[in-house]
Amino acid sequence: MIYLFQVLNGIGLGMLYFLLAVGLSVVFGLLQFVNFAHGAFYLLGAYLTYDLTTRGFSFWLAMPMATLIVACIAAVIEALLLHRIYKLPHTFHILVTVGLALVIQEMVIIAWGPLGGSVPAPDGLQGVVIWGDFIYPQYRLFTIGLTAVLAGLLWWLLEGTRLGAIVRGGSESPSNMALLGYNTLRINTAVFGFGAGLAGLAGALAAPIRGVEPFMGIEALSVAFVVVVIGGMGSYTGALVAGLLVGVVQSVMTTLWPEGARLMIYIGMALVIALMPRGLLGRA
Amino acid sequence: MTDIALQTRGLGVKYGNFHALSEVDLQIRRNSVHSIIGPNGAGKTTLFHALTGRVRPSSGRIELDGRDITDTSDDDRVRLGIARSFQVTSLFPNLTLRENLRLAAQGRTPWQALAPWRRAEANAEALDIADGVIDRLALGKVTGRLAGELSHGQQRRLEVGMAMAARPRVILLDEPTSGMGIDDIEVMKDLIRDLGHDHTVLFIEHNMSIVMNISDVVTVMRLGRKLVEGPPAQVRDDPEVQRAYLGNMITGDIA
Amino acid sequence: MNPLDKPFAQLALVLVTVLALPLFLKSGILATEILIFAMVVAACNLLLGYTGLLSFGQGIFFGIGTYVAGIFLTRWSVPVPLVLAGAAILGAATATLVGWLSIRRQGVYFVMLTLAFSQLFYFMAYTFSGVTGGDNGLLGVPRPAIGGNALDGPWSYYTYVAVCFVVIFALLVMVTQSTFGRTLLAIRENEGRAAAIGFPTKLFKIEAFAISGAVTALGGALHAMLIGVAPLSNIEYHTSELILIMTIIGGSSSLFGSVLGAGFYLLLADALSTIWPRWLLLLGLVLVAVALFLQGGLWGLVVRGYDLIFRRDRAPNTSAEEH
Repeated sequence: MIYLFQVLNGIGLGMLYFLLAVGLSVVFGLLQFVNFAHGAFYLLGAYLTYDLTTRGFSFWLAMPMATLIVACIAAVIEALLLHRIYKLPHTFHILVTVGLALVIQEMVIIAWGPLGGSVPAPDGLQGVVIWGDFIYPQYRLFTIGLTAVLAGLLWWLLEGTRLGAIVRGGSESPSNMALLGYNTLRINTAVFGFGAGLAGLAGALAAPIRGVEPFMGIEALSVAFVVVVIGGMGSYTGALVAGLLVGVVQSVMTTLWPEGARLMIYIGMALVIALMPRGLLGRA
Repeated sequence: MTDIALQTRGLGVKYGNFHALSEVDLQIRRNSVHSIIGPNGAGKTTLFHALTGRVRPSSGRIELDGRDITDTSDDDRVRLGIARSFQVTSLFPNLTLRENLRLAAQGRTPWQALAPWRRAEANAEALDIADGVIDRLALGKVTGRLAGELSHGQQRRLEVGMAMAARPRVILLDEPTSGMGIDDIEVMKDLIRDLGHDHTVLFIEHNMSIVMNISDVVTVMRLGRKLVEGPPAQVRDDPEVQRAYLGNMITGDIA
Repeated sequence: MNPLDKPFAQLALVLVTVLALPLFLKSGILATEILIFAMVVAACNLLLGYTGLLSFGQGIFFGIGTYVAGIFLTRWSVPVPLVLAGAAILGAATATLVGWLSIRRQGVYFVMLTLAFSQLFYFMAYTFSGVTGGDNGLLGVPRPAIGGNALDGPWSYYTYVAVCFVVIFALLVMVTQSTFGRTLLAIRENEGRAAAIGFPTKLFKIEAFAISGAVTALGGALHAMLIGVAPLSNIEYHTSELILIMTIIGGSSSLFGSVLGAGFYLLLADALSTIWPRWLLLLGLVLVAVALFLQGGLWGLVVRGYDLIFRRDRAPNTSAEEH
């Protein structure tokens, strides 16, 4: 029964990792740009939710607002700064986004202090679900449900719509897109905001589960990297499978070997890379 | 020693379900100039990739001087005496011309280069080879220039020189004249003919004037298969070749 | 080539730096820290500038060196030279493993893998706190002793580190000048061609990793002896980030650029952190500014300044020569 509990926890966690990885992946797909500030957007999403709920807003309002604010901030950063550096080598993409991550992290500390805090589960989801002798928190169940719906929406968006086609088409040749009459600049800005918004949303949803602290961004970033490395960047299915796998491994290990749970994520990644250099689904 | 330097038997390469090359039997005579022609998509470059070990054949075998090298890795084949140039110029643009050639010469003995205390200049042999190639390419005036700053014609010659510096017995040239002006083409033509005296030259070329002028043997490929093979005059007059498609791929006059 | 990029010019600049730091800095600790990081950053530069590998995992090797010093000096009192050699060997071995796994993927995946590996080693150090002291680190790491006297004064230890630094820097210059180093440049320029002319490129990359890991671990061991602790923070993500930032700010086209990068960062940190604890915010802005306006890093600035002053006649020549 404890395992069922941990597997469910892992699925919830894994879905958040999936959101993070898809956000990273979408931006990379369109812009060939690895966003090292992705974790900082996650951090910002969590803190904005924390801030809004402590000000008395309902979580149901705070979560979408936080997501939207993060997306807007990211879009502004893209429009003002990032589009200038796409042509530079990856080194400078990394330098700029590492710099941005530092700025965001420090601003979070200035605004909310270095100690962090907790976010209560939202109204209506503070209780537990009881099936026979199995007891599970309602909020965690809710995140699984919500992220599953979001995953469906994302699948439709990326695989079934024009936006998805643009994102995939863009990764092949940006100039072709311009020829087709798309305003690439505006699409770049929108997609970057969208990717960051997904990270913000993951942060908002994670806040009531794990609380907030200023260094949660780095960890989210590196877990997103692990998911992307073993699932393959630009692969929706890969991100889903790898995200769930990482979440479940981490969660189950929490029971078996609490101190080593997070270590096992990375050991697992090292094993995958040693045995299957091209990742789980064998894509490049 | 046989008279055949390089030979393939039933060579095939598959990319997924696509047969890029099938059932290719080639015999390249020692110290001959052997050209491969055919329309785009005929499998010419794939053939080169297979011969140099960049792609693994899905069937058949490759022999160098009678020795089976089908499963030999690409860097091992360089040491066995196969070197190639690329259709798209692929140099070290921020290194000097001489350094490009020195590296290519050092590539025959790469393990030596793993010693982090050995000075590059200590390998006098590699430097001699590089200078020899520079003379043969007539690029003596620009040895200190960065490869990326050379003119297109000079870069194409250096591209061939990179293969020469490995001191191969078999040298594979992939469209050595691509994008060249008329004067440069003449220089390249002389160079390839000259290489044929002491190398086995296999080259892909679209310029018929060069092919017909300097080849000992011409192989015509189409859709991954060998269509016709023979001396230039015979291939040129082959009605099937002419009718089928030679007519619409001639880019130069037949001399 | 700019005369300042020549090996002897680089060595001369390093000697001048080592002699000048005591004249300009009050704190021997800070001066020593600059030299230690200069060494570590130069090792990172061997990967970034010479091989084209952006490693986000240098903190792994730094941390390993730190723990080797911490464990062997506090528990078994092993002689310092042996400890340094052990740190270098273990650093090289770890770097070989991390490098071998990371170069299986290319480009940004490679960078992500190195970052993920830095997390792996951090959590390993965190988890096995019996060995590493966990959050507290290993306390009471002694300084080396010469002729029975421990080098407890800040400037006496500075001298010790300075000797190590000059030797290591000279060795790194030798590596970059060697046929090995020049092959690394070729791999950075065009890996496909380097393989096509016969070089087993993966082996060269792994060797570059091993050398970089050895030097970085040596620096980590010296650092533990400097601050008297082997802290968990030395193997953290932030250490990897720090080393990389110093490398890029300094400029990756020359080894001495790394000395500039380390010096600039640590002096800035020293000056600003006392004034404003949130100074990293300013650092973030500096990084953005470097990417936009100073892509050659500080070394690029030095070379440009040098050309402006001493080679005014040469400058227009280079553009005219192209025709």
